[in-house]
Amino acid sequence: MATVTESAGAAATGPTGSDRGSQGAGGWLRGSAVQALLVVVVLVAGYWAARLMGDPSWAGGFPTAVGDRFMAWLDGIYAWVVENRNDSPLFLYFFNYVSVGLGSAVVLINQFLDFLTWAGVTALGLFVAWRFAGWRVALLVLATFAVFALTGLWSESMTTLSLIFTSVLIALLFGIPLGILAGRSEAFYRGLRPVLDFMQIMPAFAYLLPFVLLFGIGNPAAAVVTAVYALPPVARITALAIREVPKGAIEATTSLGSTPWQILTKVQLPLAKRTILLGVNQTIMLAVSMVVIASVIGAGGLGDAIYQALSKVNVGQAFQAGVAIVMLAIAMDRVTGAVGRSTPVSNLPERYRLPVSAIGLAAIIMATAVGRLFKLGGWPREMSVDIADPVNTVYDWIQSGIGDFTAALATWLLNWVLSPLSALLTGSPWWLVVLAAAALGWIFAGGRTAIVSAAAFVAIGLLGVWDNAMDTLSQVLVASVVTIALGVVIGVLMSRNDVLATILRPILDAMQTLPPFVYLIPAVALFTIGRVPALAAALIFALPPVVRLVNDGIRGVPAGTIEAAESQGSTKWQLLTKVELPMARGSLLLAINQGIILVLSMVVMGALVGAGALGNDVVVGLAQNQLGLGLASGLAIVCLGLFLDRVTQGRRAPRA
Amino acid sequence: MPRFMRRKGALLRVIAVAVVMVMVGSCAVRTDQIARDPGVVRMAVNGWVGYEASAEVLAAILRNEMDYEVQLVRTDEQPSWQALDQGVLDVIVENWGHEDLLELYGPEGNGTVVDGGSNGNVGGIGWYVPAYMEEEYPNIATMEGIKEHADVFQTAETGDKGEFLGGAPGFVTQDQGMINAFDLDLEIVFAGSEASQITEVRRRYANEEPVLFYFYDPQWLQEELDFVRVEFPEYEPGCDADIEWVPCDYPVYDMNKIFRTGFVEEDGPAYRFLDNWQWTNEQQNEVARMIADEGIDSSEAAEIWVDENPDVWREWLPEGYETR
Repeated sequence: MATVTESAGAAATGPTGSDRGSQGAGGWLRGSAVQALLVVVVLVAGYWAARLMGDPSWAGGFPTAVGDRFMAWLDGIYAWVVENRNDSPLFLYFFNYVSVGLGSAVVLINQFLDFLTWAGVTALGLFVAWRFAGWRVALLVLATFAVFALTGLWSESMTTLSLIFTSVLIALLFGIPLGILAGRSEAFYRGLRPVLDFMQIMPAFAYLLPFVLLFGIGNPAAAVVTAVYALPPVARITALAIREVPKGAIEATTSLGSTPWQILTKVQLPLAKRTILLGVNQTIMLAVSMVVIASVIGAGGLGDAIYQALSKVNVGQAFQAGVAIVMLAIAMDRVTGAVGRSTPVSNLPERYRLPVSAIGLAAIIMATAVGRLFKLGGWPREMSVDIADPVNTVYDWIQSGIGDFTAALATWLLNWVLSPLSALLTGSPWWLVVLAAAALGWIFAGGRTAIVSAAAFVAIGLLGVWDNAMDTLSQVLVASVVTIALGVVIGVLMSRNDVLATILRPILDAMQTLPPFVYLIPAVALFTIGRVPALAAALIFALPPVVRLVNDGIRGVPAGTIEAAESQGSTKWQLLTKVELPMARGSLLLAINQGIILVLSMVVMGALVGAGALGNDVVVGLAQNQLGLGLASGLAIVCLGLFLDRVTQGRRAPRA
Repeated sequence: MPRFMRRKGALLRVIAVAVVMVMVGSCAVRTDQIARDPGVVRMAVNGWVGYEASAEVLAAILRNEMDYEVQLVRTDEQPSWQALDQGVLDVIVENWGHEDLLELYGPEGNGTVVDGGSNGNVGGIGWYVPAYMEEEYPNIATMEGIKEHADVFQTAETGDKGEFLGGAPGFVTQDQGMINAFDLDLEIVFAGSEASQITEVRRRYANEEPVLFYFYDPQWLQEELDFVRVEFPEYEPGCDADIEWVPCDYPVYDMNKIFRTGFVEEDGPAYRFLDNWQWTNEQQNEVARMIADEGIDSSEAAEIWVDENPDVWREWLPEGYETR
């Protein structure tokens, strides 16, 4: 997710800077706010009109006939796949190669790590981290391994690592060549970009089922889905990096008679190397988050540990596995992030490199030998520190302390906000909702978006999951409003106060590297099970980028402008509302867009804690072999994402 | 200059074509050819605590006594079968029915799974109400009583229909078929998981509120709270053929084990051990209660039971397991 934020963040500074006439912009915003309000009023009126007329059939939810047939058709395909997975040439010679190959790779890497024993793995990890990223990061890696061992989740962690290695390898194997092609051919770039855009607004949860259909269940499918999910950043950033190589350098080498291959390997790749490594870093981070989510389709490892604990509402156990994943994510981020920068160790003089590597290798072999000699294997479970019980005690204590309050808050939110909104969206005539969506698209982003919005809603209806999609939409809307309001407030405070900014910045950084799955744990701890914890998780998940963008936007307002306003006697409030916020409009709009997309991806994941709606259909589709239902719901999630993204992207050009 | 390049391109193409030819010609890959560590037993874990108790006890013995590595993978019932079919899991230790899946994947179908025979547990699924409801509505534990008093179960979530509290979406269910066939004014609300369903039932039980829910036996909560099973016309073979129209109660399940065919053919100590294993509902409940009620970590609970009952599980160990 971090990818979306950063690449888009770079694009946002452009329009903000050239945005003149802040008053006009405010007026435009206000104008569209009034129009949007009008749309809502019409929708509410339509809802009541339909109710007063006794819900005639032409004014109800979307008819499901087409959707039912579509789902039955998908179920038929699935039945065929199950019967022919080991007969049809399509599977024997293609899909099974991929799944068996990747599944075996995961097992082999896992076996290799087991062979090294925990001593060997730790030595290997430490050496690699120290060699490429310096001793600070090496210490962090050591701490990470310590957490794996002490939480008693060593073998789970090794499985997760094997999955990550396999899928990142595949993502890079395909992503970098795609990026290079796109970097060298304008036509290919233009074709690839919308595909990557689409892949990045598609919530992680919607990826799962199509891969179950083709690659089955368990680690193989998990490896494929993770590779695909993690591919966009590296492809996109490689393309950008190659395009940014100065024309002069290329012309100079061309004039010397270099072949295209030489230009690529001797000029473009070396110059773009550092940027490409940034893409690799982001790909790895996406892989970390997806590998955890993939536990829903049977991937083993740490994600599975959280999934099991969540379904038992055992907060302590989930917390334990959560800590392990968080450490893994941060360590992975620091190691790969440091490879891109140069550190003293990685810039060893040529003559030392070979001896250092030899010593490192010897140390790893030694450690492994010792490990094998003492039959160490994985870290013994008996020698782990159980933090689940203390955490559960704290949890019980919190529950008895503020449980009543959170339960009351949850009930209030359900009865007065979520249920009425959901009733409004599901109870209104479907064509009115489609028209409202189109109108919102037209108000905020123009004619093309209006058509896209209407089409997205009609598609949702045709998929046959209208009611659940409206339920999901209501959850997304509520969570987004809270997220954005809170994000703007915190962002403004942060821009005002340098101390607060210094404290918050590393926290936000850390939060953005965490896999989304982890956020479900505190949410369940506070709100137990249902729609409300899903909203809470979405709120904390989507908050960091919003806060960051608002803060950056306001801090980007030129000091001269502020001085001019102050010298004219503006109060602080006037300064904020008349000068700073309007001038940071680009960042604000981007914050809204990012916030909403992230909220959507988290809300559907909330099905794991009982949020129901579309996410639940994905889970049910998997659990009861109703692939049709699951796939249709996944597609509907994508349609919702498309609508929300296009409407909030505004009239800006699509991001780079 | 570009001549060697061109040759290189041609070479690449030849290699690529050769690779494809080898792939297509030499071996068609079946999903069960996936690499596997013979020292690892991969067990499905379905989402209720009784199953978990069985799986953890078996895992504890396999790990500590027989020196295997055990992977317990959380999957729902149907996906577990698929995982066996595809060779990514080895065994389901507590299977409830699923004749349709046995037909599809068993010896009559794909031939990728084998019915491993009874695991000793006998299970029943049914509709339950708390015993205190019988005081106010004496006939509530009958089909007629439910029909008459469906309105008692109304909640905010279900509006003017009665609420039927379901378990996890992945569980075996014929509830909608029964609601249709008996013409009951009920709507199913899924709690989402066994744990959240129990939380909800407990809450209502504490307040003596009405609740009608899907539940099953063996289940440790049955011994703690007083539930009454609602009576429906008894199960007859075939009465649940149409899942949308089921005019009978759930069958009694002799729970069985399901093995991956390849795992059986290997005939290793792990398979023989699992094949020997059988235990009673009471034994399962002992472990399940430790996990769910006393909040003991599931692997610890299993180890406690294993420590206390060596004479029970020694019987399950196959001959010559030490020499593996």
